[in-house]
Formats: sequence, structure tokens, C-alpha cells
Amino acid sequence: CNEAKSEGRAELIPSIKLRHCCLLRNQRCVTAYLYDRLLRIRALRWEYGSVLPPNIRFHMCAEELQWFGQYKKSLASFMRSLGGEEGLDITQDMKPPKSLYIEVRCLKDHGEFEIDDGTVILLKKNSQHFLPRWKCEQLIRQGVLEHVVS
Amino acid sequence: MFISDIRKEFYEVVANQRVALLVSSDIDALCACKILQALFHCDQVQYTLVPVTGWQDLGTAFLEHKEQFRYFVLINCGANVDLLEMLQPDDDSIFFICDTHRPVDVVNVYNDTQIKLLIKQDDDLGVPSYDDIFRDEEDEGHDSGNESDGGSEPSGKRRRFDEDMWELREILFDYEQYEYHGTSAAMMFFELAWVLTKDTKDMLWWAIIGLTDQWVHDKITHMKYVTDIATMQRHVSRHNHRNEDEENSLSIDCMRISFEYDLRLTLYQHWTLYESICNSCYTSCSFKLWTLNGQKKLQEFLADMGLPLKQVRQKFNSMDMTIKENLRDVIEEASNKYGMKDIRIQTFGVHFGFKNRFLASDMVHATAALLESTEKDESDSDNFIKALDSLSRSNLDRLHSGIELAKKKLIAIQQTVASCICTNLILSQGPFLYCYLMEGTPDVKLFSKPMALTLLKSPCHCSVHSLTHGVLVDVEKGTVIVVGITPESETSDKKNFFGRAFEKASESTSSRTLHDNFDTSIIELKTEDRSKFLDALITLLS
Repeated sequence: CNEAKSEGRAELIPSIKLRHCCLLRNQRCVTAYLYDRLLRIRALRWEYGSVLPPNIRFHMCAEELQWFGQYKKSLASFMRSLGGEEGLDITQDMKPPKSLYIEVRCLKDHGEFEIDDGTVILLKKNSQHFLPRWKCEQLIRQGVLEHVVS
Repeated sequence: MFISDIRKEFYEVVANQRVALLVSSDIDALCACKILQALFHCDQVQYTLVPVTGWQDLGTAFLEHKEQFRYFVLINCGANVDLLEMLQPDDDSIFFICDTHRPVDVVNVYNDTQIKLLIKQDDDLGVPSYDDIFRDEEDEGHDSGNESDGGSEPSGKRRRFDEDMWELREILFDYEQYEYHGTSAAMMFFELAWVLTKDTKDMLWWAIIGLTDQWVHDKITHMKYVTDIATMQRHVSRHNHRNEDEENSLSIDCMRISFEYDLRLTLYQHWTLYESICNSCYTSCSFKLWTLNGQKKLQEFLADMGLPLKQVRQKFNSMDMTIKENLRDVIEEASNKYGMKDIRIQTFGVHFGFKNRFLASDMVHATAALLESTEKDESDSDNFIKALDSLSRSNLDRLHSGIELAKKKLIAIQQTVASCICTNLILSQGPFLYCYLMEGTPDVKLFSKPMALTLLKSPCHCSVHSLTHGVLVDVEKGTVIVVGITPESETSDKKNFFGRAFEKASESTSSRTLHDNFDTSIIELKTEDRSKFLDALITLLS
């Protein structure tokens, strides 16, 4: 723009300005898109936990994965700093829990599932189980189990 | 072995363990399962619930879960076969069986370690004593020990040994000949809840539904039904004691169970009175509604009671209040004239909220219709889950859809019966009557489920001949479902010998049969083998 002024080709200035505005606008759109992706990736940590399923990792680029790793780390260090020695896992119990154990129904065959004391449960379609709440939350979010309210 | 103290020997044993519940597909089992689930929720016992529809399902479920669970609770399955031989479990698996099928297999009764029967011992069992059955082992020992004796001695002992074997077989044959049903599983678990003082009205209602299911599907005698109703009535009055307090009366939304001496018209409060009379098995049989004469009698009956046709064909809830008030008495009086002495039956009803009133038999029909619905793309376990849900009070729309399905089912039953009789599809085959529903019959899909078939039998019976045995046959993808039915009479003890008869007939003709159902009187047979199987059955029973 300044070069145009110095060379005396003043009639080019509006078109340069126009192009510039367009470029700026495109840049804003792309930035908005990337920022939205970032927010979604952050939400993924809360939904899926620290390990993302491979089909999701497939859709992320290397920088996004790196960002995800760093977000995970800072979240983990924050959680460690809460609640005494062990830290507090705030990604559990997103809604206030009503009971320690919940009844869940299996919506699809998921195979075997291990719970805290080492025992394995076979998740077969249409079987119902009464399990500790914290083990089920992941699977409920993934749609494998359904919370049965009676 | 039989459990004497259900709290100590069952509940406290499983209270800190993880349990697998294997539940059969009938309403009584569903109700028992709901009660047990409610107890487990209370005490946070972790469990896994698996629905099973037959012996094969039971075997598969057991294999899948035997690594992870040590304690198995079987509801309405497993008592009438040698379970250890069928499942081949490890030595530390323990089975708690609460089953209404009788006779209980003698091995299950006398096994002390792995099989625990949640059945009352005075429940009319007639189990042969231990000595009668297991005596032959001692004699075998004697026999081999005395071989060194003189020539005549061994042959003498051997003859006695053979006689003992023969006696043993006879005892077992007598014991296992007839199949019948014992006290409802739901009532057993309700008693457990009562002993733990954790019983609630919901559990009481489920126990009542379990008992009513046994009566609706003709599994228990009238005497037993009345006795069990009296037991439930005691519990109901105990629970209703709170309602009587004027100052702290319960809100209208709370559940109230009341004893009703109500009409035997199926679903009449959710239907029109006219439809209900036409489609209830008791009234349609008494009037013989498939004949013109029967239709006339029905019109006379309604006129006799002074009920205008317009009112009677309206939905029950919209009928005139003046008519509804005395309806039961009016109907009872009129039906006495037409030979229907038992139009009223003792039962229970529930109501919660302003709109929701249900009788126990309504619930049974609705849940049974959901359990055996023949929609496409629905597997048996899907139906099981739907039916289980409909028993909870929060799933009223599921219950209403069940009621609609039940209405369709009842109409289909009446139409099929009418067509069977009018087209003479019911044939006499010597010792029994035989009815074959062919593939082109409308609604035949509905009858590919055992419970619907058993509902079909009563109208067939009442209509044709009330004292003969029946075999109902129905078609489904190359196989035929055969149901054996006992004579229907006031004094019948509901003991069914068809189970053993079917086994023997299929052995002797080497027909390809599948004895998969927990009720031994219902089997599946290849269509090609049908005629030779029936011939064998005729020769066996004559």
C-alpha cells in the first residue's frame, strides 16, 4: 500500500485495501475455526479421558495432538494440587451423584470389562449390571451402557 | 438342598459378593427379579442380570459368566433337571435356585454343597426319601463283598439287587411323572424382603402380579390361588394401615393397593365392556360366542342387566357413573342365571395418581404381551427388557402400549378359536384332541410363543370338551411347536404328564425334537416328523 503511494499509482490503493480486508477476513475465519477445534479438543479430554480413541486421533493434526498432550499435563498437575496428597479427579461425577452404585443396561456387545478389584464383567447386549458409578461413567458417555432409572 | 432360613443361608451369603442372576422369561420370574433387584440396590450388592429363554440359553449364559462369578441365582429355571450334570460347573460355584417348576430333580434336592433351593419344604413336594433312592449303592457294596460265598448266594443277592433297581426306577418314575407348579417365585422373594423388613408397596405389588400370572396362565389350582391370595391380603392390610390415619393421610400420588372382589373380564377397565366380555376366555366360553346362539345369548344377557348397548360399547371410563357404580353386583346377579357362577374372583388392584388404576390381571396381560411381542427386529432379550421396564411405575407409557398389545392378542385368540371350531380343525386322535394351526392362519406368528399358545388352550377346551387332553401344534420356520394340555376342570390338580410322554415318543420315533423350554410340556419338533411323533404319542397314551 505504501509502495503504491510512493510510486504514485494511487488508483491501486482501493483494490489493495480490498484484498487486504479479504485476507484479514479469511485469516479471522481460519483462526475462529482453529480456535473452535481447540475448544472441542479440550472437551474431548473431559469426555473421553486421557486416551483418545484412534478414530479421533486420526482426525487431529500433529500440533493439535501436541496441544492436547500439554493440556492433559496441565490439567493433571492442577488436579494433583487439589485435595490433599492424592489429588482430586474432577473429571469424574460431572453431575452430582445420587448413589454409590448404579444400574446400567448394556446397549451393545462390548466384550469384557475390568473393574477395580480385578474382576471382569462380560458386557453383552441387553444384560443389566449393578456397578460402582465411577467405573460406568466412561462407558455411559460412550453410549455402550445406559443408566436405568426405575 | 432346601434352605430353611432364607436370610442367613442366602441373603447374608451373597450380600458382599457379586452375583449373576439368570432369569427365565415369564412374568413371575420378572416380578421376582424386580423384587430381588430392589433388595440388592438397597444393600449395594453388585449383580449382573442375564435373561434366558431355554436350556440352551442357560448353558451359554453360564459358560460366559462362570469365570467371573461364583454365585448364581436362577429364577424360574433349573430345578427340574440335574443341574450339575447339565452345566458341569467348577466345585466352588454355588447355585441358588428359586423355581416354581416341580418335581424338583432328586439330585438337586440331595446335593448339599453346590445347589441351594429357595423353595419351602412343605410346598407339597412329595420328594422320595434319601434312603429310597440312594440305597442301591450300599447294596452294590454288599453284592461284591459276598462273592466269596457259596454258589447259590451270589445269584440270590443279585436278584435282590435287580429288584431294588426296579423299585428305584418305579419310585423315580412315579415322582417325575407329572409336572406341575409350586408357590410363585415372586412371593418367595417378597417373603425374603419381609423377613429383612425391607419390603415396600412396590415389592408387594410385584409379588401380587407374580401370583396372578400363575393363575392367569393356569399354572396353579384354584385352591392354591385362594390360599396365596389370603397370604397376600395379610401383607396388604399391614401396608394399608397407614392410610387409615385421617390426619396424615397419604397423598393421592402414592401407591395404594386394595383387595378387590372383581370381575373376571380381562382388561375391562381399559377397554369397552362389550369388547371385554367378547374377548375374555371365561365369558366367551360360557356363552359360546362363536355361534349365532351365543351372540344372541350375549344380547339377552346385556338386556337382562338393563345396560344399553350404546353405553356398553363405550370406553369404560366414559360410561355413565350410575351404571358403573353397581356394575359388579349387577353382572354377578345376571351371570348366575346364565350358569357363570365364578364371574367374580379375588384379586388386587392398585391406584396411584388420579388416572392410574390397574388390576393385577391387567398388568399380567400387558407385560405378557410385551414379553412375547412378535414385532420384527426385536430379539427375545429386547422384549425381556421392555417387559421388565413396564413393571416399574415410572414407565406408564410402556405399560399402556402393553395393554394395547394385549388387547390385540386377546382378539386374535378369540378369532383363532372361532375359526378352529367352525372349520373343525380340532380333531380327536384317540386319547387326546389335537389342533393344528397351519401356516396361513392369520396371527399365527403370535402363537409361535409358548405363553400365547397356552392362553389359546382354555377357550379351545371349554368349547369342545372339557375333559380331554389336548395337543396344540403351531408352525414356525420349519419346526412345529407342540404344547400338551391337561383336561380342564374345577377339580383338576394341574398336573401335566405330557412332558414325559413327549420325551418317550420322540425317543421311540427318533424324531428331531428340541426340549428347550423350561416347561417340559412345550417342545419344538421338525415338521416332517410330526405325523410319526403323533402316532407314537397315540400309542403311548392309549
